[in-house]
Amino acid sequence: MAKEFKVVGKKVERVDAFERLVGEAKFASDIFLPGMLYVKFLRSPHPHAKVVRIDAARAQALPGVKAIITAADVPKYQIHGRATAPSVPMPVLATTARYVGDEILAVAAVDEETAEQALELITVEYEVLPFLLDAEEAAKPDVVKIYPEGNIVQEPTDTLNRGNAEEGFSQADVILEGKYKTHMLQHATLEPRVTVISWNGKRLTIWDSHKGPFRLRTDMARALGLRINQVRVLTSFIGGDFGDKGQTERQHVVCGFIAMKTKRPVKLEFTREENFLGTHHRYPTTWYMKYGAKKDGTLTTIHIKLYADIGAYYHQDFAYNSLEVPKGVYRCPNVRLEGYNVFTNKPEAGQMRCVGHPAAMFPQEVHMDRLAEKLGMDPLAFRLKNYARKEDGDQDRKVPFASVGLEECARKGADRIGWEARWKKPGSNPGPVKRGLGVAFQSCRHGLIMPPMSAIIKLDPDGSVELMSGLNDSGGWQKTTMAMFAAEELGVPYEAVQVTTGDTDATTDTGGPGASRGTASVGLAVIAAARDAKLQLLDAAADQLKKKREELEIRDGQIFINGENKSVPYREILSRAPSPIIGRGSGKAPQNVAMHTFGAHFAEVAVDTRTGKVEILRLVAAHDVGKAINRLGCENQIEGGAIMGIGYGMLERQYIDSQTGICVNPNMIDFKIPSILDVPIVEPIIVESDDPYGPFGAKGVGEPPYGVPAPAIANAIYNAVGVRFDEIPINIRSIIDRLDKGRA
Amino acid sequence: MDEKGKKSKERNKKKDGDLKVSRRAFLKGMGASTVAATLASIPVTSVPEAEASLPNGLKEAVIQLNVNEKLYRVKVKSHWTLLEVLRREMDLTGTKKACDRGNCGACTVMVDGRALYACSLLAIGMEGKKILTVEGLRDGEKLHPIQKAFSEHGGYQCGFCTSGQMMSAKALLDKNPKPTLSDVRGALAGNLCRCGAYPKIIESVLSAASKA
Repeated sequence: MAKEFKVVGKKVERVDAFERLVGEAKFASDIFLPGMLYVKFLRSPHPHAKVVRIDAARAQALPGVKAIITAADVPKYQIHGRATAPSVPMPVLATTARYVGDEILAVAAVDEETAEQALELITVEYEVLPFLLDAEEAAKPDVVKIYPEGNIVQEPTDTLNRGNAEEGFSQADVILEGKYKTHMLQHATLEPRVTVISWNGKRLTIWDSHKGPFRLRTDMARALGLRINQVRVLTSFIGGDFGDKGQTERQHVVCGFIAMKTKRPVKLEFTREENFLGTHHRYPTTWYMKYGAKKDGTLTTIHIKLYADIGAYYHQDFAYNSLEVPKGVYRCPNVRLEGYNVFTNKPEAGQMRCVGHPAAMFPQEVHMDRLAEKLGMDPLAFRLKNYARKEDGDQDRKVPFASVGLEECARKGADRIGWEARWKKPGSNPGPVKRGLGVAFQSCRHGLIMPPMSAIIKLDPDGSVELMSGLNDSGGWQKTTMAMFAAEELGVPYEAVQVTTGDTDATTDTGGPGASRGTASVGLAVIAAARDAKLQLLDAAADQLKKKREELEIRDGQIFINGENKSVPYREILSRAPSPIIGRGSGKAPQNVAMHTFGAHFAEVAVDTRTGKVEILRLVAAHDVGKAINRLGCENQIEGGAIMGIGYGMLERQYIDSQTGICVNPNMIDFKIPSILDVPIVEPIIVESDDPYGPFGAKGVGEPPYGVPAPAIANAIYNAVGVRFDEIPINIRSIIDRLDKGRA
Repeated sequence: MDEKGKKSKERNKKKDGDLKVSRRAFLKGMGASTVAATLASIPVTSVPEAEASLPNGLKEAVIQLNVNEKLYRVKVKSHWTLLEVLRREMDLTGTKKACDRGNCGACTVMVDGRALYACSLLAIGMEGKKILTVEGLRDGEKLHPIQKAFSEHGGYQCGFCTSGQMMSAKALLDKNPKPTLSDVRGALAGNLCRCGAYPKIIESVLSAASKA
């Protein structure tokens, strides 16, 4: 029987709504300190060049310039946790520029204008080197080497084989090959990257638009030779993250160094242009897919070759991350996956919403659609036949899924859009404006339980509650969700909980909200902290009421004495308790089980074959969230993720000029993110599979909706006009080109 | 003049002394429409250290800005935008800087009743105009109906574009209290939200309209 909840599952307003809506929420960019210096980077104009000589004498002489830092000034500082293969730490400033925008030196001056003026007075002499912008090209032998070790990152790939792919092809009745490409794009957070650092001679205080304050604290202490507790990181509000703001970057180490050297507070705020040139991006991919299936639609084998263009610096094995999707969404006994992380002279690839999965979801879900057609099957039925069930689970680790709501997502979504009655064979539509329906599935390991997990709960004498959590609220309602967990477990009203986040002095490390892990992971720690607080409260009550702990029971914010028909409210016990009650909680990841999130999107489009305009008439987004802790927040995440995903599939692309390596659209007009005019009212469907390991049954939902719209829409466009797209974004230009090709 | 107007006129008189600007000169400069504004003075901010020299042709001036029905004296350079003056010189950081190029709408404020991008206005040209920022929306502890609706309907995620969204919404509802869905879309078309909170933003604005 489902548990009765008092707070969980209700629609509540955000716990920090007031600050956010009246303009009082202080983001890092809002911090202005007396005597503050402004820091600017000088960035390489070349995609690949050695720095030969720097002449900064004229800038040095400019009134108001307080520091000029080159690589020579910071040789012993390294960015921890970031490496160029094989594990060479990233330099704080570059002596060889590897992309246009690579950071060569930094200037600190009394105001931004003076810093900019100083940059213009500096001459850098470069030895310009040949460059590579295409990953497949860079992966060939005998090309320019971006690193002495070569352009392909060596990573183990033996975990990516399952069964025998060749045997699988011999069993197949139908074999389908395809090549697909996805593109480079930017998080385009509305708040650009910003760092403010102050050094008082003993402690370093950092205000930052950053989701991982504890990681930043540790890295900065290590880089600057400080004890960890000499660094305080404040990150209460973040103006969007989507994966860009979780690492320790050059800007942090450089600003920390300058603050300590000049003994003045410093601020570095990226301009919008810099935010395109000098931050991470979603990496482009090229896929060669070959799938085999039997006549009845059973998948027999998957063979994939993938080139991931990771840009100039190495973060993580992105190719592997992308390959998790094709090896896991559908059950298939024979899989052979080859993934290559390839360096190019482009800005460095980084994590962006759902990391490597969206780049895989487009090719996979289009390929599955094509395979269904070749088999003469309905694309929905084909997917439902093959999706990995609970008992299939993670087919490489051979552990079952914890909970699976994929089929329910698919059925409910199909009902909502009217799939059965309205889906017709491609090209069934007469007239110049053609309508079509498309579907895509999602399943990935984001939304999981992953350490570190911790929380502290203090009970105040009047019964109100203070929750201290290291989990930053990047906009995904994290603070609110944590407050709901605490209120539910303690049996107090939601309004009684005050949440503190974004301060390393006041909270404990619980990791960042990445990988959609916040709700499931930190939720467990919050519940554990609440239970710990309740136990202490019972001890205090037993003491005060002269009872044994076993004779008391706690529920609904009251303490009941067994056998007696009376109860005592918390506050009575708390106000008389000699010491404050402080609950602490942690948690651990479940073993021998795979926690996945699931979803299915259904798109309906109208394509005007005369103009190439695609109107997305409907987008139904069904997601298995385990348990919706806050329905408003869940809807908000599903809608927002899907809308960003429409941008990914239809609008956004960061263009790098092939002749010069320069980004030609580093602004928010030419890099087009969805506006309110570009998107339909997304129809979210919340499916609850009640995860046995998640807090009150919850899993994450922040990332899963992002990658699904692109293939769902691409499949709907095919259904409307009979033209396949093997590359995104699908925009008016590409549609006109393809329709013209079809007509010719 | 109604009773409220008289009272605030009285208040203005009392505070004139603090401001050290002759009342006559002030009225001449500002026009009668700003008389009802409550006067408040904040210390003149110093231009960051004289060591920074001013590029050719740029001038400094002390100007008066009427923001959220308060008068501020601010020392500005002639090329400073309203956005940087609000944020850096006046500590009104509710208005956000996201692109600084008139591309995104995060810095939307109301100027004489119109929603405008503060990054694309020179501060020096704002004398004599009534500026409303997000800080001026609420009435003490009481949220403005638009703020209340954004809270109830979850019309935001990270909150960085939200003040701009609400100022555009206010400019719309002031002129058109019963907007249609497409009116809302049109009025907010210049306000980008990277979190994609658009469906709930639309819900919020329509709800605020229905309750007005």
